[in-house]
Amino acid sequence: MTKISAQPTSPNDAGEMPKSQRFMNILEPLVLLLPSGIWLLLLLVLPTLLIFELSLVPGIRPGDIVNPSGWDNYARIFDPLYIKVIQQSLFFALGTTIICLVLGFPVAYWLAQIAPPRWRNLLLLSFVLPLWTSSLLRTYAWITILRPSGLLNTILSSLGLPILDLLHRSPAVLIGMSYSLLPYMVLILYASLEKLDVQLLEAGSDLGANPAQVFWLVTVPQTFTGIAAGSLLVFISGLGDFVNPELLGGASSMTVARLVYNQFLGSTQNWGFGSALSMVLILVVSVAIALLIKFGDAVPKR
Amino acid sequence: MAQTATQNHFEVMAQETVDVELRNVFKFFHTEPAVHGVDLSIRRGEFFSILGPSGCGKTTILRLIAGFETPSAGKLLIRGQLMTDVPAYRRPVNTVFQSYALFNHLNVADNIAFGLRLKKISKSEIDTRVKEALKLVKMESLRSRFPTQLSGGQQQRVALARALVNRPAVLLLDEPLGALDLKLRKDLQVELSNLHKDLGLTFVMVTHDQEEALSLSDRIAVMNQGKIEQIGTPSQIYEQPLTPFVADFIGDTNLFKGEVKSDTPSTLEVMTRSGLTIAIARSLSTPNILSSTVVVSVRPEKIQLSLYTPNVEQNCFAGRLTNIMYLGTHVHYVVELESGDRLTVLQPNTIGTLPQSDTTIYAYWAPTDCIALAS
Amino acid sequence: MQSAVALSSIGLSSCGWKLADVRAQVNTSGPRDELHIYTWTQYTDEELLKTFTTQTGIKVIADVYESNDVMLAKLQASGGGIYSVIYPSDYMVKKMVELDLLAELNQERLNTLDNLLPRFKDPIYDKRNRYSMPFSWGTTGLLYNSEKLTNIPEDWDYLWQNQEILSKKITLLNDVREVMGAVLRLLGFSYNSRNEEQIAQAYEKLKTLKPAVAAFDTDAWRNQILAGDLLLAMCYSADGIKINKENPKLKFITPRSGSSLWTDTMVIPKTAPNPDAAYAWMNFMLQPEIAAGMCKRLSFSTPNRAAIELLPQSIKQNPNLFPPESLLEKCERITPLGKVEEIYDRYWTQLTSS
Repeated sequence: MTKISAQPTSPNDAGEMPKSQRFMNILEPLVLLLPSGIWLLLLLVLPTLLIFELSLVPGIRPGDIVNPSGWDNYARIFDPLYIKVIQQSLFFALGTTIICLVLGFPVAYWLAQIAPPRWRNLLLLSFVLPLWTSSLLRTYAWITILRPSGLLNTILSSLGLPILDLLHRSPAVLIGMSYSLLPYMVLILYASLEKLDVQLLEAGSDLGANPAQVFWLVTVPQTFTGIAAGSLLVFISGLGDFVNPELLGGASSMTVARLVYNQFLGSTQNWGFGSALSMVLILVVSVAIALLIKFGDAVPKR
Repeated sequence: MAQTATQNHFEVMAQETVDVELRNVFKFFHTEPAVHGVDLSIRRGEFFSILGPSGCGKTTILRLIAGFETPSAGKLLIRGQLMTDVPAYRRPVNTVFQSYALFNHLNVADNIAFGLRLKKISKSEIDTRVKEALKLVKMESLRSRFPTQLSGGQQQRVALARALVNRPAVLLLDEPLGALDLKLRKDLQVELSNLHKDLGLTFVMVTHDQEEALSLSDRIAVMNQGKIEQIGTPSQIYEQPLTPFVADFIGDTNLFKGEVKSDTPSTLEVMTRSGLTIAIARSLSTPNILSSTVVVSVRPEKIQLSLYTPNVEQNCFAGRLTNIMYLGTHVHYVVELESGDRLTVLQPNTIGTLPQSDTTIYAYWAPTDCIALAS
Repeated sequence: MQSAVALSSIGLSSCGWKLADVRAQVNTSGPRDELHIYTWTQYTDEELLKTFTTQTGIKVIADVYESNDVMLAKLQASGGGIYSVIYPSDYMVKKMVELDLLAELNQERLNTLDNLLPRFKDPIYDKRNRYSMPFSWGTTGLLYNSEKLTNIPEDWDYLWQNQEILSKKITLLNDVREVMGAVLRLLGFSYNSRNEEQIAQAYEKLKTLKPAVAAFDTDAWRNQILAGDLLLAMCYSADGIKINKENPKLKFITPRSGSSLWTDTMVIPKTAPNPDAAYAWMNFMLQPEIAAGMCKRLSFSTPNRAAIELLPQSIKQNPNLFPPESLLEKCERITPLGKVEEIYDRYWTQLTSS
């Protein structure tokens, strides 16, 4: 076990660091970064490169020889049929993100600023509690609630209100997805809102901004990092979800994620096309993350 | 007492234009009264300070004027208009916060322009006024910087500019110089004073620093535990404090509690519990003392010291020098009298050699140099 | 994790490596008294496993899957795995044989092969049962709510004829071959058509039905039809019969123009760690009492003649469990079609995304 010296040794007369010290300077961060570095390399970098290689082989099937030869798989994606599927996925992901923002912001604001401080942690915990159950179970629960004779309609009809035919349509998908992803949005927004300086809101008011203006001109820019991070998380998760669209969405709910599933685990076994689709998804997510890094920090550092 | 002062105060105010008025205002937080029956009248163009120790309610009054809090009882008027239903964003008032509260997602120019942009003023006029404001606080070269890139003093100037550019009827300042070091504070005090003279606006400042209040204000209100003790000009507050609290809070003083022994039209004689007899000359401003217990106040700089028995008849007491502090321009002495009382004395540094500690000494002052206060 | 490392280690840097090559690794034999089986969720319960262990002393660990394709993909990715017995369906057997994944069965080690019904002795997907042992079979049909529907479905076209009543209250299987095959049959073509024109016609016909379809669903329809939210569900005979037991008002029929005939089999993969235990298991399953018991408990048809004898009359006569020959003649097995499946997949994607 190499000994890590307690104090940095001073340069010798010639003004250079002793060799052992230089070695330690390189070794120490390396040792600390190594475990996660290997993890990322094996489980993220290598598989992604593998998928990329596969995507360059048109019509490959298990048992075939891998010989990257062209971009045919990518060209196929531009077929209007598949573009439509991608649009559907984007619709679900974006819709869920917006719903989570609109619903999550008031809740996070209330938790961070208005709720009594003693109760905050307990309230946060109870909000996150649904995440402890299986996500498939939650989706099945929504079927039970939303179907024509389900819980929602039973309540509505007992109140004399018209019943809602939500199941097997897009609204049900958005409900199911939003429900699963809302806790994440609330948690991330809460972290941002907790740090909000209330005096800034007073300053805005003092300078003539009515409550709506204070919200858009002060609160939102101040919490922009939280909003961006939360939206990104929900968007990426939403893009990869095919369980909710399939079980709640009815007959027209083919998503990109399901398409990829079909290529690998379906009867066609076209791993090449599936890989190309996966690479497109990875690209979309990467672009979103890049945008976040560039514009996410509204407050410039010194 | 304070009541009498307020009555005088309102009489004087009757003829002038009043910008801010508080009438019997109360403010309770839960069951705690932060502001207890306050009456205030601030003239147009005044530099008015509210002075007091922390927790006395001065910041609450400022927040009431700004609109961040609503009075639990009483009336608040700005320029003659009742503000009960008027929220903060519609009041002709701007605040300079203690922590500056600059928007760190906007640069200096945008911070200053914030209030103007809400008023739907033309872009060119906004640019002109922002430039003016930057010039006023000498921050033109830093207009593109962000608040996190500025020093404390620079942030304070931006906060000032941001408030002033909106041409408010009243400018509120909440301990504006509290976070700055001494030299900077002195410089900015001068700048603030000049700004006030140049612009002619009404300034209402809250501070716990009595020197600051004394040097900048036209009038001061001294507050203690939610109530106003005294309102007056700096010299009135200093020379003619109306309560022991004011006497003690402003500057240094020696206080003696005692009973009225005799009461003639020219002199009041008070006997302290420790056996001292103090003669106080009556003046026009000495209020009528209604009770028999009074507090006598003598400023340290009004007390004379002598190594030998001085040739005076009244207010001369023997004691011992227990502490001598050399302050450069002044010398600070502590004298322990035979009666047991302890006096603080401040003398200009004119003596050649300082006396030794533990010397027997005589302390004396003229009856006109002390005042009697109701306790 | 295992798969990731395995894939990465197969050969990353250069071209010319074989994708998901299961042949490369052959497992050495595992512990003698342990048997891992890979089976369908509906085919196993605690009682069965316990009985086997009591009889043979071998401990059985059952892993389950819900679809043949998932099973195959997992097998290929993990290079064979720990399983000694797998339960692929008929067309999957053919595929696995072509991929050289299955060990040829030693017929002598298996008793009572003659007990099989004639239809299953020499099936099209595996001549003379060289690699697989038929275990259960059934058809695909329609489960309907007899209380709420006044006219009874008898054939696939019932769906089109009664679209208004059925609007948004029917589900079809989430399986491209089953659904498109049924429509092909209705149009008079084969379930295994290779003709693109015919497939296109089937797609067009399905498109007209689509507005009435609530969802393509292989599992979640159960609760919904029991609750009354669905009037009709396309399902496998085993599932339909089971639900019928729960609620006699929900009745199952196999459509008149014929449907798909599915057979589930038992196979021993080449990479099986414990072939002896595998044979013991298969023989166990072939015992008439065991087979009959499973048929009674889990509601699927058995190909075992001796077992059928042991069944009570009510079950033996059940036309859903044991349809008449005339109907069975019209039923087809679904077979793999290689590259043609991509055509089906395309139409399926089009159907489910519009």
